[in-house]
This record gives sequence, structure tokens and C-alpha cells, in this order.
Amino acid sequence: MHNLGFALDGAWRVLLAGLLLGAGLPVLFALGIRSLAWADAGGVVRPAGKTLGYGLFAVVILGVLLGITFIVATGFGKALSFEHIYPTIVPKH
Amino acid sequence: MTQASVVLALVVVTALAFDFTNGFHDTANAMATTIATKALKPKTAVALSGILNLVGAFLSVQVALTVTNAVVKIQNSNGTPKAALVSDGGSALLLIILAGLVGGIVWNLLTWLLGLPSSSSHALFGGLIGATIAGLGWAGVNWNGDGSKLDGVVGKVLLPAILSPAIAGFVALVGTWIIHRITAGLAARYTDQGFKWGQIGSASLVSLAHGTNDAQKTMGVITLALIASGDWTDTKNIPFWVKVACALAIALGTYLGGWRIIRTLGKGLVDIAPAQGMAAQSSSAAVILASSHLGFALSTTHVATGSVLGSGLGRPGAQVRWRVAGRMVTAWLITLPAAGVVGAAMWGIGHLIGGLAGALVVFAVLVAAAIGVWFRSRRAPVGSHNVNDDWDPVAAEEPVPDAVPVHAADVPATLPTPELTKGRV
Repeated sequence: MHNLGFALDGAWRVLLAGLLLGAGLPVLFALGIRSLAWADAGGVVRPAGKTLGYGLFAVVILGVLLGITFIVATGFGKALSFEHIYPTIVPKH
Repeated sequence: MTQASVVLALVVVTALAFDFTNGFHDTANAMATTIATKALKPKTAVALSGILNLVGAFLSVQVALTVTNAVVKIQNSNGTPKAALVSDGGSALLLIILAGLVGGIVWNLLTWLLGLPSSSSHALFGGLIGATIAGLGWAGVNWNGDGSKLDGVVGKVLLPAILSPAIAGFVALVGTWIIHRITAGLAARYTDQGFKWGQIGSASLVSLAHGTNDAQKTMGVITLALIASGDWTDTKNIPFWVKVACALAIALGTYLGGWRIIRTLGKGLVDIAPAQGMAAQSSSAAVILASSHLGFALSTTHVATGSVLGSGLGRPGAQVRWRVAGRMVTAWLITLPAAGVVGAAMWGIGHLIGGLAGALVVFAVLVAAAIGVWFRSRRAPVGSHNVNDDWDPVAAEEPVPDAVPVHAADVPATLPTPELTKGRV
């Protein structure tokens, strides 16, 4: 039964990361789209909406870059560490 | 050329063939939603996915030599084959690998014919398990690991298969639901264009991750065969030609596009809107990468299918075709035993005939099965031209133009009829 324990332990971590990145980033992206739409709605130009929108897109792009970094690092036998909050590339143990 | 090197060549060719089926079987995981929402043209999508798989395969410098250790005991923990299996020049091990690969390929071809997304890794593992049971008995299978980590058939195959679609589905459901709340009432010119790029980005991530993970498995299997036959000794590196061949095989397979499976996943399961497509693809990408980071091996296919299903449940008013979902789940359940039965039968045939002739017969069975499946598939071909057709034929036939003039009887009989209908059809 030890496998079930390991699996459930892994599963909730994957679920948490999945919700944060897999649902969180698309939601930020959708908010970005909403901001851009608001920025030029009704003939009024709202620079704040544009700034907010592109800011949100930038966060999403950072998330995607994190994904690419992870894939490349894994391919080279490295791992990503989040112990300093910001990700760093470390040798795989 | 000795007999042993001919058998080795057959194993290598079969492994590359498996890699190729792995490619076209899994194109759908990355690109089905992108194609269904028309974010990319079908041909463009498979080309992009193929290129990213190629790049991904070359990115993997790490050696996945111990890939079979998850389910069978034919290798030591450092990747070298068990001594008992190579005492006769490696032919015992080569036969197990060959039979296992054939089991995996046959199952991949059959599920492709039925348009069912099933896990290629599970098919490979199933084939290897079957061939190992036939060759070494039940004790040759690593059922439950040694208790120190998630391992064995239960830990690496069965539990992830249950958990991964549920996790991915829930993430996609939450994402889809919130996104629809946020963008409700916005003009399509904002949402469609935006979500198009969101989908392309997330689908690209899935393709790249697929190339790094899945091509590595075949590289590991081929290298194991080379070590077994004494043609390679280094367990820290793989021959460069193996890497090139595997990368090309998976990329070509991906580019070919398993259109039948793309159609099921993109059109059959749920009707996907661009926002759902992005939510589903992002969920897949995040769950695959997170699980790979945490050492919790998931099947890309199960994750992608769960995501699409979740995105169908999350959009208000969207309809999920549960019959299609049921067929997929059935396919997942029987993937392992079905590939196992084929693997075991192939080992039996090869062992009975023995030697080079046995390996040749096993290979001939594979070729015959592949040709058979191909001809059967031609009866109802699915390709880039019809991949996006409506799933229910009734809906597609509805807009039949009424070509017959309503008042045909009132028209003077002297007028030639073609004149009448001109411009109406």
C-alpha cells in the first residue's frame, strides 16, 4: 500500500501546482484581455487599462518561460529549485 | 553479418517504429484543441508540433537507460542488463524487448484505427510486461516496487492512470469556468485573437515536453539492446546515431498526425470554444511539467484527455459526449493487458521457433498487422481535410439546399429545365 501513499502525496502537490499555473496563468491572461477590451471601450482611451493588460500578459509570459526553462534543465539532467522562492537551476540529486 | 546482429537490427528498427507510432498517437495531446478551435490550420499545427518534438528530443541529454526498471526486472539498477539474460550473447533479452515492442506497436495501431487516445507508454510497458511474464515468469515483473518510492506497475502505471485525468480535468474545469466568467460579454475580436495565442503557446509547451520525455524512452530501449548484444558498453551516454534516429522518428510521426485521434479529442469529446481550448492546453502543460518536476510520472495522453473533459464540464452549456469518454476509459483499462497479451504471444512464437527465424517471424507478424490496420483505415480515411467535420453526421447534413423549384409545375414546359435551376444550387 506504500505506493498509494506516495501517489496521493504526489497528487495533491501536482494538483496545487496545476491550479496555480494551469488555471491561474490562463485566468491572468483572460483578465489581460478584459483590461485591453476595457481600455478602448466606448470610444474612450484608458491608458491604465492598456498598462494593466500588458502587465498581466508579461506575468503569463514569465510563467511560460519558467516552463521552457524547466524542460531544458530537465533535458540536461538538472532540476529547478524553488527554495529561494525564485527558481534556480541546480544539479539533480 | 552474424545472426545476432540481424536480430539486433530487427530490434532497433522495431523500436524506431514504436517511436514513430508514439509520435502520431500523441500529436492530439498537444494539438487537438488548437486544430478544433481553428487557432492553427491542421497542417501548420502538426508541423509546429513535429518541429518542437524534434527540438525536445535533442534537448534530452540525460540518459533514460533504466526506463524498463519501472515495470520489469530485466536490468540492474545501473542500467546494465541482468547477467542471466545476456549469457547467450544477449538473445534472451533481445527477444523480450522485441516481443514487448511489437505488443506496444500493435496496440497503438489498433487504438489509432478506432481513433482512441491511449497512452503509448502504457502500451510499451504492457508489451514488455507480457513478454517478461512469458519469458521469465511472474517474478520477472516489478509489480509494487520496493517500498522506498513510487514504483512498479501499481505505482508507475495504475495509480497515475487513475489520478492524472482527475487532476488535469479539475484544473481545466476551474480554469474554464473562471475564464468564461471574466470574458463573458466581450466582443469576439478581443477574445478569439487573444485565446488563439494562448492556445498556441500552451500547445507548444506540451509538444516540447513530449519530445524530451517520450523520445528518451525509445533511446533507452535501443541502448539497452545494444548493451545486451555487446555493441555498446557505456551506461552514462547513448550513441549519437540513436539519438538522431529517435528524434527523427518521433518528429516524423508527430508530423504525420494521428488525425483519427485528433478528431476524437478535438471534436468528439466536447465542442471546444477558444477559451476552453486555452484552459485545457494550459492545464495539460502545467500538470505535465509539475508532475515531471515532482517525479510523479503521468501519461501525457491521460492528462490531455482529462483536460479536454474538464474544459467541457467547466463551460456553461457545453455538452460532453459521455459515450465517447466511456470508450476512451475502456481503452485505457485494457491497454496494459491487451498489449501484454500480444507481447506474451510474440515471445511465445519467437521462443518456439527460436533464434533468427523466430525473430524474423515476430517481425513479419508485426508488418502484416500494420499493413492490415492500414488497409482497414482506408475504408474511412481521416486526414487534415476532414478532421474538423461535425462529429454527429445529422448536424452536417442539415443545410441541404433545396434545389428543386417549388413551382416547377407552373413553368411552361417549353423552357429548358437547366435554365430554371441555374443560380439556385
